[in-house]
Amino acid sequence: MLSPVMEFTFVDWGWALAFLLLMVGGAFFFYKLARRSESDFFLAGRGLPWWLPASSVFSTHTATDTPMWITGVVYAHGLRGLWYTFFTAWTAVGAFVSARIFRRSLAYTQAEWQSLRFAGLGSELLRGWLAGWQFFMNMFILGWVGIAMGKVCNLVFGWPVWVGLVVPTLITAVYTLAAGYWGVVMGDFLQGIVAVFAIVLVSLVGVVAAGGPVEITTRIVEMGQEWRLDPFAFTGWTGGDFPALWWLTMLVIAVLGGFGMGTSIDWYVEAQRIQSSRSVRDASYGLWAGGLVTLMRNAFWAASILAFFVLLPGIADAADYELGWFRLGFELLPVGLVGVFFGAILAIHLSTISSHLNLGALYFTRDLYQRYLHPEAGERRLVWVGRAATVVLLVGSFFYGLMMEEITRWLIFALWLMMAGIWLPNILQVVWWRFNAWGYLSSWIANLGVSWLVVWILPAFGILPSLPDHAQFWLLMALGAAVFVPTTLLTRPEPMDHLVRYYVMTRPLGWWRPVHDEAVRRGLIADEPSPETRAGRRPLIRRTWTAAEAQDWTREDWIAIVLSPLVYGCVLFGLVRVLLLQPSGLWLLALAVVGSLAIYWVIDPKLRAVSIEYEQRQAGYAADLERKMRWENDG
Amino acid sequence: MDKGLVTVIGMSIAYVASFLGMGLAWWSWRKRTREGKRDGDGR
Repeated sequence: MLSPVMEFTFVDWGWALAFLLLMVGGAFFFYKLARRSESDFFLAGRGLPWWLPASSVFSTHTATDTPMWITGVVYAHGLRGLWYTFFTAWTAVGAFVSARIFRRSLAYTQAEWQSLRFAGLGSELLRGWLAGWQFFMNMFILGWVGIAMGKVCNLVFGWPVWVGLVVPTLITAVYTLAAGYWGVVMGDFLQGIVAVFAIVLVSLVGVVAAGGPVEITTRIVEMGQEWRLDPFAFTGWTGGDFPALWWLTMLVIAVLGGFGMGTSIDWYVEAQRIQSSRSVRDASYGLWAGGLVTLMRNAFWAASILAFFVLLPGIADAADYELGWFRLGFELLPVGLVGVFFGAILAIHLSTISSHLNLGALYFTRDLYQRYLHPEAGERRLVWVGRAATVVLLVGSFFYGLMMEEITRWLIFALWLMMAGIWLPNILQVVWWRFNAWGYLSSWIANLGVSWLVVWILPAFGILPSLPDHAQFWLLMALGAAVFVPTTLLTRPEPMDHLVRYYVMTRPLGWWRPVHDEAVRRGLIADEPSPETRAGRRPLIRRTWTAAEAQDWTREDWIAIVLSPLVYGCVLFGLVRVLLLQPSGLWLLALAVVGSLAIYWVIDPKLRAVSIEYEQRQAGYAADLERKMRWENDG
Repeated sequence: MDKGLVTVIGMSIAYVASFLGMGLAWWSWRKRTREGKRDGDGR
């Protein structure tokens, strides 16, 4: 077990305090920007260069419980456990599909997007549904992450769990309340740097402590556990604890999920980062880079957990081995650096807490208060409502963390089930014009019913066996489709006027031909190929674009979409192999570099053209959106 | 308690917030639709 209480010297406390002051002070500095408007308080005025949303994506998804979870799957499964973390790969495709579409919609939130994509009562019900869902989920995530911090502080200092839950979260709330999303994103940047430093440092120290990379692989082979070094060590097609069908299911969920919105719980956080980017191009690169750095982090963690396994191979209790990475840091770092390490844990915690406080407040303010309770509210009032909602979330998260710890554990499982039933609808609402609000809403409600049936009622009565996770996912998806497909086809399509407006604004990918043709007929978009294309001189890879032609989805987009997840995979497994001094890692990293350059070369001219063209229209769209918020021009 | 049962209970708790949000949206929609009708009748 971890040493019950760590010895913190004066130097350690000094470092931890210095980091805290840097991170909180740096975020607080942006107080004046946040109070200007709702857009500033929640989206930093939609003016961020790509590297700020990217660092925020990474920092937000590096929470106190993340190293525990990744330690758990790598300790139990070896390198194949990294596939559990590969769900992040939805950003590989999402960066070039859903990010582009969502940024162009100008929706503050996913709930607001529903009312742009769909029309009428159905769209409003969906907006309220998702706003309620997200307000609750952010409170739940805050409680979940907060309790993890409470446990870490309990183990390190012997403090009661509530102290670690409440105190760091309160510190975060101070700058989140004052500086809003400006404080969140600037804090995330500083916290991201601190977190990367600590992750790299502790992981390398762990590898060295286990005798170095060669010793780690040698010892694992000597133990007869060489499967731990193979990411494709399946236990058969359907049986065992890592069947190939489970791997395929995870891969499909992650990669194809990037075509949709909301296919991952992370989407809702990323949507805010996408919308806060200063252009469509910045939104794409921000999401892509944020996801990639997150996977690189996982590679460092994986190498250090293999080292931890070599040092302590026989831990059977998951609650013990999940603390492996924390143990490496607290037990191996010298005096002084332990304080730096704790400062980094604080950074990890603060970044996640601040993001979810601000995001939950956004859904309450924009989608519940402004849309349904007080559409005429002014900017100052909305900023104050945002602050009040932040306090409600804060108090609610303490309640969840302290009083309902068991329920938060249940909800983690529940998230998986919910994703199964709405995963396909989340994609269809983006790529298929005929999918309507009633189809999407029915998929959410049907998912509750079929989950009760498949997960508990039928197994409890012996009608259906308890299914492995991958079988459960596909069955829930199929049963959900049996409800939402007929519902969609038996109800009316969204009004063509509404669809045309949405199409012209966002130019979505997929099956939108009737809407496209109508938009052309109305003279809202051009469908004229360029003289170059007409003359048949289109190059294989096109690098100069007219504004009109850049709007269409072309082979350049598909090249980026296909290459991107491959680059992610090469980086994840290439980096971990390099850290274990395996030559194949260098080849994989070289492929990743070539692939990244190819993506940039192919897609950047097009993204630039799309961004320039769109920015000319953005002010008009934004004004229209605000009129809609006040129920002035609903169509 | 059975893992499957606690999972679906947890899921149902999360759904309560969604139903509340949807209820608020419906209330607001109905209010505005009635106001719109009244305005139309008054003209």
